[in-house]
Amino acid sequence: MAILQIRQAIRDAMKEEMLRDERVFLMGEEVGHYNGAYKASEGLLEQFGPKRVIDTPIVETGFAGVGIGAAMCGLRPIIEFMTFNFSAVAFDQILNNAAKIRHMTNGQFSVPIVFRGPNAAAHMLGSTHSQAFEPYYAHIPGLKVIAVATPYDAKGLLKSAIRDENPVIFLESELMYSVKGEVPDEEYTIPIGKADIKREGKHVTLVTWGQGVPISLKTAELAEKEGIEVEVIDLRTLRPMDTETVIASVKKTNRAVVLFHDWPYGGVGCEVIARIQELAFDHLDAPVLRECYEDVPFPYADNLEQLVLPSPEKGLAAVKKVLYRG
Amino acid sequence: MATVVELPRLSDTMEEGVIARWRIKVGDKVKRGQVIAEIETDKATMEFESFDSGTVLKLIATEGEALPIGAPIAVFGAAGEDPDAGAKPAAAPTPAAASAPAASTPAATPASNGEGKPVSGAEVPAASGPGAQVAEDMSKKPARDDGRVPASPLARRLAREHDLELGAISGSGPHGRVVKADVDQAIAAGGAAATRAAPKPAAAAVAAAAAVPAFVAERPAGKASQVPGVPGIEADADGRPYVSRPTKTNKLTQMRKTIVKRMGQSKREAPHIYLSTAIRMDRAMAVRAELNLAVDGTKISVNDLIVLACARALRKHPKVNSNYTEQGILEYGDIHVGVAVALDDGLVVPVIRFADQKSISAISRESRDLGQRAKGKELRPEEMAGSTFTISNLGMLGVESFMAVVNPGESAILAVGATNDEPVVDNGVVVVRKVMRVTLCSDHRAFDGADSARFLQTLKNLLENPMALFG
Repeated sequence: MAILQIRQAIRDAMKEEMLRDERVFLMGEEVGHYNGAYKASEGLLEQFGPKRVIDTPIVETGFAGVGIGAAMCGLRPIIEFMTFNFSAVAFDQILNNAAKIRHMTNGQFSVPIVFRGPNAAAHMLGSTHSQAFEPYYAHIPGLKVIAVATPYDAKGLLKSAIRDENPVIFLESELMYSVKGEVPDEEYTIPIGKADIKREGKHVTLVTWGQGVPISLKTAELAEKEGIEVEVIDLRTLRPMDTETVIASVKKTNRAVVLFHDWPYGGVGCEVIARIQELAFDHLDAPVLRECYEDVPFPYADNLEQLVLPSPEKGLAAVKKVLYRG
Repeated sequence: MATVVELPRLSDTMEEGVIARWRIKVGDKVKRGQVIAEIETDKATMEFESFDSGTVLKLIATEGEALPIGAPIAVFGAAGEDPDAGAKPAAAPTPAAASAPAASTPAATPASNGEGKPVSGAEVPAASGPGAQVAEDMSKKPARDDGRVPASPLARRLAREHDLELGAISGSGPHGRVVKADVDQAIAAGGAAATRAAPKPAAAAVAAAAAVPAFVAERPAGKASQVPGVPGIEADADGRPYVSRPTKTNKLTQMRKTIVKRMGQSKREAPHIYLSTAIRMDRAMAVRAELNLAVDGTKISVNDLIVLACARALRKHPKVNSNYTEQGILEYGDIHVGVAVALDDGLVVPVIRFADQKSISAISRESRDLGQRAKGKELRPEEMAGSTFTISNLGMLGVESFMAVVNPGESAILAVGATNDEPVVDNGVVVVRKVMRVTLCSDHRAFDGADSARFLQTLKNLLENPMALFG
């Protein structure tokens, strides 16, 4: 089994799918000659040529729209946003075309497209480049939304996303492209809509995804020192959500914290909590808490940014609170 | 900087108060002048308007808790501020305030009486539960006045599954919330205290019934409000045991505490003398009937006439309108007549101020209004303060004559009996007359028997010749 970085796992997934299916192509800003802003498409231009690895002008609404049109015409585009903050420019294309066309044409057209790129805060990128976009996209019927935190998940889920007949939002992390992990040498895919228990525990369920995963795992380590066994569930797919895995865990632990890189108001964290209270109400021994960004525009200053971000220490405090230990 | 809100003095005689109901909760923004609580004083339940503005950081006093004036009851400040930063210095010098909240934490609450109150902490050792250290935090006291037991959904389900009474389990979570650990402990403790099984007296009754003749068990339990009795040890001549019922303790209300204090003080300190006289009320009754007939909407009572007559008599005998103090006898310049009004659980004395200067219809209107509002406990403290003389009338309950206790702050109280038809000797002939007996009960330190007698003479004259009241 090879040890890969997430950026390599993503490149391999795209490469394998491009080899497997000639309709698959990659398009975005600096994906070709520059090998991707975060080197997630390294070597692809060389291997597949400029017809299948296309550098675009800085015009997200344009290349998102071109990608959607190509998908309607039978191709399987992968659109890379240099960051999902730029997808805001293409939001109308995604919201009103990608997510709606299959429904509005009664299935005459489908839009098998993947929009991928880094999401959420990185480090000192300021208010407009530090945002998490999963609440906007997970809100929309017609889209699937994935957030990955390991090379294994990144490769397996990106391959499934590329093969899916529907538009998929595939969220990566600038801070996590170099995270390493084992990836099988043989072909594999991970089904969309399946959560993964990253760590088992019996006292508190910690639901998380994307950049929240490493923080949650560190939270669990801190908690372990205090004799608390935290079960860390990585949702991996935010829409459709693997409710069953979450509920089964909450029924075991009787308490839950949702830890994520996003603002608290609305969003995926709230959706998780809504499902827990609806489906496991009689199993809850404490209110379900959130650990996430402070409800403010992101500060640029390093010290202030640290105050806004979720941390293992904050996660531990929430874990102890639902255990009535703090 | 956080502001500590203290229990205000809401009446002259108030020394402690009970938060009957909070109208605010933690996190609320309060404006100066907003009603933040209903406070039960010795006399009434009053709305407490805030002197301060700010965000409610903490409610220190719980509903139902008796606190001395000046005790910290809440902390206001800026949202997110630490309430204890400002609260501590203010709370520290008041030992009563510090001890009172502690006394009502769940651990110190007496055993369950089946009304959803927490059981004694002895059954659930506070030190071993999760969050035990916070059990003493008064912000975590149960707020169960609505009868709902705060409990996590899981605790609720576990209690149901184990047939435990949730209300009998002490909650260790925030605000006394019963959580899984608490139910687990109750289960481990055998659930003895919390099982829904029949209460002990009833169980004993069943056991005893088996040993005694059947008719004992069949004896009707009496009124629904009565506690079920058990056959006692003592029996009648035929060997049938008497039914024994437990003694219960009725908590002292603020009003009852005030009555205890003031009446005790009066009887201990003031040497009472009592002078009685019989007043013929025929003409007073006739005048009353005539007035009620003549003036639309008037409904003058005998008592209204007595109030007016007393006020006029007091003007003539100012010694009676007085109060003994060690510095000297205060002879009040104004005449404010208090009228005792019986309530279900005590009495209040609303005051008709400047009664000597009011018309009979004004007195009547005022008296009826005060009486009605007194029954609803709606009187403001100032409406029950400052009387210089009191009238207590039990005539409507058929009492012929009685002796009353002087209200501290005054020197005399007139105890009024019923007006009855009686045979009296008039010019050597026995005739039937309406007779009312009154007793002037007074503080001998302030004046003497002869003064009392002269006052009674004037009063008698005024009521027997009632036209003088309208002169």
